[in-house]
Amino acid sequence: MTGFILRRLAQTVVVIALLSFFCYFLMTLMPGDPIDEMIAANPNMTAEDAQRLRELHGLDQPVHKRYWNWVTMIAGGDLGYSRTYRVPVSEILGRSLLNTSLLAGAALVLSLLVAIPLGVWAALRKGSRVDYFVNLFAFAGISVPSFWIAIVLILLFAVYIPIFPAGGTTSIDFGMTPGEALVDRARHLVLPVLSLSFLSIGTFVRYTRAAMIDAMSNDYIRTARAKGLSWDRVLIVHGFRNALIPLITIVTLSFSTLFSGAIITETVFAYDGVGRLVFLSIQRNDFNVAMVAFMISVSWVLLMNFAADLLYGLADPRITYS
Amino acid sequence: MTRARPRGGIPTRTAWRLGLAVVALLVLAMLYGLARPGLSGHGVAPTNGSLRIGITQEFESLNPLIAQMSATFYLYSMVNRTLVGLNENTEFTAQLAVQMPTLENGMARFVEVDGVRKLEADWEILPAATWGDGVPVTCRDLQLSWEVAQSPYVSIAAVELYREVEQIRIDPENPKRCTFLYSEPKWLFNRRFQFYLLPDHLERAVFEKYGNQPEGYEKHTLYTTDPTNPGLYHGPYLIREVKLGSHVVFERNPTFYGPPAHIDRIAVVLIPNTGTLEANLRSGSIDMVSTLGMSFDQAIAFSRRVEAESLPFTVHFRPGMVYEHIDLDLDEPVLKDVRVRRALVHAIDRQRLTDALFEGEQPPALHFVAPADRWYTDDPEKLVIYEPSRRKAASLLEEAGWTLRDDGFRYDAAGNRLRLRLSTTAGNKMREVVLVYLQDQWRAIGIDTRIQNEPARIFFGETTRKRRYDGAAMYAWTQSPEAPPRSTLHSADIPTEENGWSGQNQPGWANARVDRLIEELEAEFDPDRRLELIHEIMWHYTSEVPVIPLYYRSNVSVTPANMTGYRLSATQVSETDHVERWNLEPVAQPAARETRP
Repeated sequence: MTGFILRRLAQTVVVIALLSFFCYFLMTLMPGDPIDEMIAANPNMTAEDAQRLRELHGLDQPVHKRYWNWVTMIAGGDLGYSRTYRVPVSEILGRSLLNTSLLAGAALVLSLLVAIPLGVWAALRKGSRVDYFVNLFAFAGISVPSFWIAIVLILLFAVYIPIFPAGGTTSIDFGMTPGEALVDRARHLVLPVLSLSFLSIGTFVRYTRAAMIDAMSNDYIRTARAKGLSWDRVLIVHGFRNALIPLITIVTLSFSTLFSGAIITETVFAYDGVGRLVFLSIQRNDFNVAMVAFMISVSWVLLMNFAADLLYGLADPRITYS
Repeated sequence: MTRARPRGGIPTRTAWRLGLAVVALLVLAMLYGLARPGLSGHGVAPTNGSLRIGITQEFESLNPLIAQMSATFYLYSMVNRTLVGLNENTEFTAQLAVQMPTLENGMARFVEVDGVRKLEADWEILPAATWGDGVPVTCRDLQLSWEVAQSPYVSIAAVELYREVEQIRIDPENPKRCTFLYSEPKWLFNRRFQFYLLPDHLERAVFEKYGNQPEGYEKHTLYTTDPTNPGLYHGPYLIREVKLGSHVVFERNPTFYGPPAHIDRIAVVLIPNTGTLEANLRSGSIDMVSTLGMSFDQAIAFSRRVEAESLPFTVHFRPGMVYEHIDLDLDEPVLKDVRVRRALVHAIDRQRLTDALFEGEQPPALHFVAPADRWYTDDPEKLVIYEPSRRKAASLLEEAGWTLRDDGFRYDAAGNRLRLRLSTTAGNKMREVVLVYLQDQWRAIGIDTRIQNEPARIFFGETTRKRRYDGAAMYAWTQSPEAPPRSTLHSADIPTEENGWSGQNQPGWANARVDRLIEELEAEFDPDRRLELIHEIMWHYTSEVPVIPLYYRSNVSVTPANMTGYRLSATQVSETDHVERWNLEPVAQPAARETRP
């Protein structure tokens, strides 16, 4: 087990290093650079000034040298300077990352809380009215665009029945007690979380249902019943546990969409999250923010895959890590 | 296949149902607990206690020297002012300075330095002007920004404004007085509203410590590390809180030298999705939409709803300095012929276009100078004006050798069809609609126009910047009032690989007479002569048609109906430049749609 973990960790580090260069290289292929943004803002900038600034920021150097400078900077604990926001990267990325983690985490928890019981319920009543209804709900969740759901939620719960804020991360009110601030923060999360959960619930319901139907049709379920085990034990220990493998895959992979998945929700709800930040950084050639965000995203995907591999072993004792 | 069925089905079903019910109850309880009706301010008119403004554009650190985003300068105008400003009537006026120095009032004069003719100007800062921490604003603050701007380690986009000042001499008796020595005598010297101040008493130490490291000053400036420090600001408001990517909160500055602001606290909230701005307004999440908010078509639609539903808002429209036009690639064989270019203009009816698409709120353009600019003219004796006429357009094309065939298109003698590639930024609804209109108009005179739009990133980053649009490209220029059009019309500003693609003369127009006129215009101190020069440039411009003028974009904003003292700006200087005059009257006024002349 220890050997497996060390081997996988080493692989992860190598993949991160390779992907970091690949991402950096891809970004350099995009048209323009940060100095072009400055020229666009001030057409009177001279060609000499533009060249001076390119040299100052090392933008005149070949890609491998720029990449190496970036790696050295990161290794020295400096995440760099955002040329979009004109502040150190750590200053903007940390807060946004926390906000997005909260949003995506809450949406994931809500999705699992709703989707797993619904999926299991539908699987146990395959072909019944309940099953049809749950399927209809799941397909609606998968098919309806998230921006549409977001706008409907805003209109319903912020405009026509104004009980939740239409957007933002917190209220701008300095007189709040810590308790009030906590409730206020939660109120701002309700609509974005509902919007983001809608799609995930549909997907998770479909996977849970399919996995449960498959698991419950196995011979060992019949054997377990024949042995006289209670229905709950058969369902949870033998049925649901075996249905967990595909669920673990889909849930861990969902974590990896933390950055990209929330971008529409964050934009519509004016939520101060990392998805929007990364999108803007890429648009504006803000290499330092985009690269750090890429690295976090890539590391997160790899770590989640690693976590999934470990969880498979817990869910299914037949899987070993020799 | 065997389906597993529960033997003791009822208890299990009950358990699952109970489980589902618990989850549903938990979710409902959470929603109920968090839903507190009445807190959103829905339908409640804002008061002078606080105002929330929605913007859709991102903002950055508020150091004025290194900032570039429009939204940052929108915020900056609330907290800081410059020596001169542009008022809402598009006039340059003294703001932080006691008076604008001119040759006439004797505060500016020509001087000879080492045999070279230069210009000197005396500036005096308002005696009452202090930074938010009570330290007087002096010429030392001007000197610091001048030094920082010229540092090779700091990225300043508008460095040429500072570089034209050769020396700053501060009066030892009164540091609020100083004399600027300008290296070249140019009449624009007293209109540099972008010459910003940095608080010497705070920022000098930062610059001395980090100014010799690449990006060192940018990283450590107090505007980034301590943005709520009152000593960084001297305008009508101070900053209480900054959250980049989210909001900025301003509070009235008790030490402001001018009339105190009416509104106690203003929050500027970033709402990046324009589609939800209206929902935020209606729900009371914001009270106002800045000029950096709604798109023009959204504002038109919203103004109709304001009238129909008597909503408590005023929608403002004001034709601005943004000039929507079509650049013609003069290296394209088809467009080299001026008769073809003139035919393209004759074929379109710009008045009809703006009436149909913009309800007449965006005036049709005749040339590059906007109506809000003092240099504007529509005198037919000074311009070549092309009235809409398909007959004239067809005749010009015939003259140029393009004959109409049975398929409705024109061909030259070699049988080549008259084709034109037309492009703009993909996703910009308004521009896309305009292009379809133009395509239709040009089709009527036998031109095969192909629309090929591109994402803004590619369109501006590569296609127009490197003059690769191979036909016609629609976009906008933002003009300053009374600004010589060097970057857009001088032949030295044609972007090429050799000059690093700098300059904005994307059509590639080279006219030696116009070059000379621009150079003369920049050095001419007599305003009447300047007017003659710019009108001659306009004549060449409209005669040779390197660009097809379309319309001048209008600025739009939405304010609460009970707000007075607000005036939408026509220029790039935002409405926050007179934020201290905004007043939220206790009695709501009837909603209205307002059009500025």
